[in-house]
Amino acid sequence: MRSRRSFCRPGRLRGATILAGGLGLVVVAVLLGSALAPSHSDGRSGGVASEGPARVANPLAGQVTRVVGTDVPAARFGEEVAAREDFEENLAGEKVSDLLPISPRRFAKPVREYKAYAHGWVERAIADAEALGATLSTGSRAAAERAWERAWGDYMHLGADYGLFGRLEEELDGTAGGPKASPSDPEFVGFRRLEWGIWTGRPLRSLSPYAHRLVADLKRLRKALPGVRIDALDYATRGHEIVEDAQRDLLSGMDVPWSHAGVLGTAAAVASAEEVFTTLKPLLSGREDTEPEVESWLHRLRGLFASLRHDGRYPSTTQMGTEERERLNGYVAGALTALRMVPSTLETEAYEAPPSIGGRR
Amino acid sequence: MSPLDRRQFLGRSAALLGAGAVGLGVGAEVASGSQDAAPSAAEATERVLADELAARQPFEGYHQQGILTPRQAQAAFVALDAIAPRRNELIEALKELSYRAGALTQGGSVATIEIDDPPPDSGLLGGYNAPDGLTVTIAFGASLFDGRYGLAAARPPGLRAMPAFAKDGLEPDRCHGDVLLQICAEHRDTVVHTMRELLRTTAGVLTPRWRLDGFQSTKRGPTPRSSTRNLFGFRDGTANPDPSDAKLMERLVWVKPGAGEPAWTAGGTYQVVRTIRMHVEFWDRVGMFEQTNMIGRDRVTGAPLGGTHEFEDPRYDLDPHGRRIPLSAHIRLANPRTPATEDQRILRRPYNYDRGLDEAGNLDQGLLFVAFNQDVARQFETIQKRLEAEEMADYITPVGGGYYFAPRAAAGSGDWVGSGMFGGPSALGGASRPQMQTVR
Repeated sequence: MRSRRSFCRPGRLRGATILAGGLGLVVVAVLLGSALAPSHSDGRSGGVASEGPARVANPLAGQVTRVVGTDVPAARFGEEVAAREDFEENLAGEKVSDLLPISPRRFAKPVREYKAYAHGWVERAIADAEALGATLSTGSRAAAERAWERAWGDYMHLGADYGLFGRLEEELDGTAGGPKASPSDPEFVGFRRLEWGIWTGRPLRSLSPYAHRLVADLKRLRKALPGVRIDALDYATRGHEIVEDAQRDLLSGMDVPWSHAGVLGTAAAVASAEEVFTTLKPLLSGREDTEPEVESWLHRLRGLFASLRHDGRYPSTTQMGTEERERLNGYVAGALTALRMVPSTLETEAYEAPPSIGGRR
Repeated sequence: MSPLDRRQFLGRSAALLGAGAVGLGVGAEVASGSQDAAPSAAEATERVLADELAARQPFEGYHQQGILTPRQAQAAFVALDAIAPRRNELIEALKELSYRAGALTQGGSVATIEIDDPPPDSGLLGGYNAPDGLTVTIAFGASLFDGRYGLAAARPPGLRAMPAFAKDGLEPDRCHGDVLLQICAEHRDTVVHTMRELLRTTAGVLTPRWRLDGFQSTKRGPTPRSSTRNLFGFRDGTANPDPSDAKLMERLVWVKPGAGEPAWTAGGTYQVVRTIRMHVEFWDRVGMFEQTNMIGRDRVTGAPLGGTHEFEDPRYDLDPHGRRIPLSAHIRLANPRTPATEDQRILRRPYNYDRGLDEAGNLDQGLLFVAFNQDVARQFETIQKRLEAEEMADYITPVGGGYYFAPRAAAGSGDWVGSGMFGGPSALGGASRPQMQTVR
């Protein structure tokens, strides 16, 4: 379910991200700043006249010193706006956050739901891995390819559970030895080993032990799943990280160098991100525009994947035409931009500016 | 075109070439031909010399150029493998490489020899190769010291093939190499010209293995000292040791005579190059707070968190639990600023790289990490292992590079970079020691 390097991610997000809502303030600050600027020299005014447009003097320069209708000095207002933007606190040191953090407890239900979803996919992966084992004993290479794709596609649906199972995950992925593991490497096992063997013409029967081991490992995964802990904000972050990893490792072809099954893997990753999103919907509701944004991108991706799928199978990345490929790359990139807003919308703690060096401030 | 036509055509070209090649500077060779246009050509050359292209870095001396030299704007790194079957061929190629590199760094008129032959210079820069701050730094990989050329005994003891660190995704065809050329200049065409000329010089003996172009971010202040930014938008190089501090360089960069090193390595340095892909699209989706916490600095000012200006001491002693600057922040792990870690510091001389797109349509950009150090194990590797704990590691993937040894410079005319490992003039500080056994 994971890429090799992502194992090394002990939670990419530390604490809350900076709160949204400051954007409007920036605009105000810029407008105000330009209106009040006391005809700032850009150092070129004395230069050759043909160099760039002439600078129009600010007619308000030196006249407007207060925020209209108040006694607030304009300079101080500007500073305050900047402080709000930078630190989410005003000049008096008070918090000015306009978004209420969500209690981490409210993530318990979404995480529980996700685990139930993941359990379903582990069950399917076990059944399909068993079927793969049977195909390796009796079937054709084409049948083995399809069986591998089914089992691996199931497994990739676990998506957001990445990095929670440590060594077991490495065995299942078979990526512990790096992207170009050698067949003699004892760590070259799992889905990767089977992919290599099936697509590079190894005798199918010689791969059977790896399929048996895969089934046993998936059963261990099923057993371990209920006990894993996912932190609230970490869970919210996983939605887009699954898709980022698919983009980096699967669409690039890096982690599926023999089957080129990057589209299949990405479709599974998107499905898993969608599940994360669905479980978080009650929390997202009414907070910014994140929900409809994500919804619309996922809708587009669903449509695209459906159009790519023929006879229950996705094309390999090497079979895709330029137009299909551009659309897939582009939709994934668009979806990522929207999905990234999920964790920033679901703050669990208010932002605190770092204390100053030596305790000033 | 008939042979006769072709000959006439070349004749006309000869006249034009002669006019353009009127020489100032080092090693000028001027073809015979019409001198009618000479004054204007000389004027043009003078103009070139007077302007920004005139900066010249010494090639000969004790330490190689391009190490302490302030970073030029443009760079190319080319790793080469030696394919010559005989030691003498390798020696000749390295000599030619060094001589040609030296001549290019000093600038000079483009020579034309025989009008029937391909010109000895591609002519990319016109009739006069202006120096343009060009440096060519020549370094050698561990693989050169295997059994092929009888160099095993001369291998610098700290030189080995760069290992894969925990989070590396090294691609073999972007790693290592017998010889590394670091070509830096203020303008791109100077770098491209130099690379082309040097590859031509060594063709057939040294064959290209990998290459990567680099560029420097523009200095945008607010002060002349302010560090430039890397492709994550953060200032990079704030805590770099000062290259003008000769005593510090003796402690951190240069290999000292003795100290278990073969004599020829004195005055050289170990060069670490790492091609570090930066997943910039991923990074651009990270919240500002998280970005600054991963780095440990404010993005705009470059000040350590809680500080106000770039060069402020982050005072980790006042923040032992990472409340202000997280313990996993890049700056904290890279340089903990303790007495015990002082001699682990490295001299960095990095460039940005930007080389197109990956299969998924993401930008293939990153950092061409370059560091010089006296002892790779004590310095670079110690830092690198500490950095495995940084959270920024999730946004980068080292994909290539290698370890190299950049020996001392050519001692004078006739000497060449690397002669010392064959027992040449620079084997012992310029003294001539022709026998291999004196090397170790």
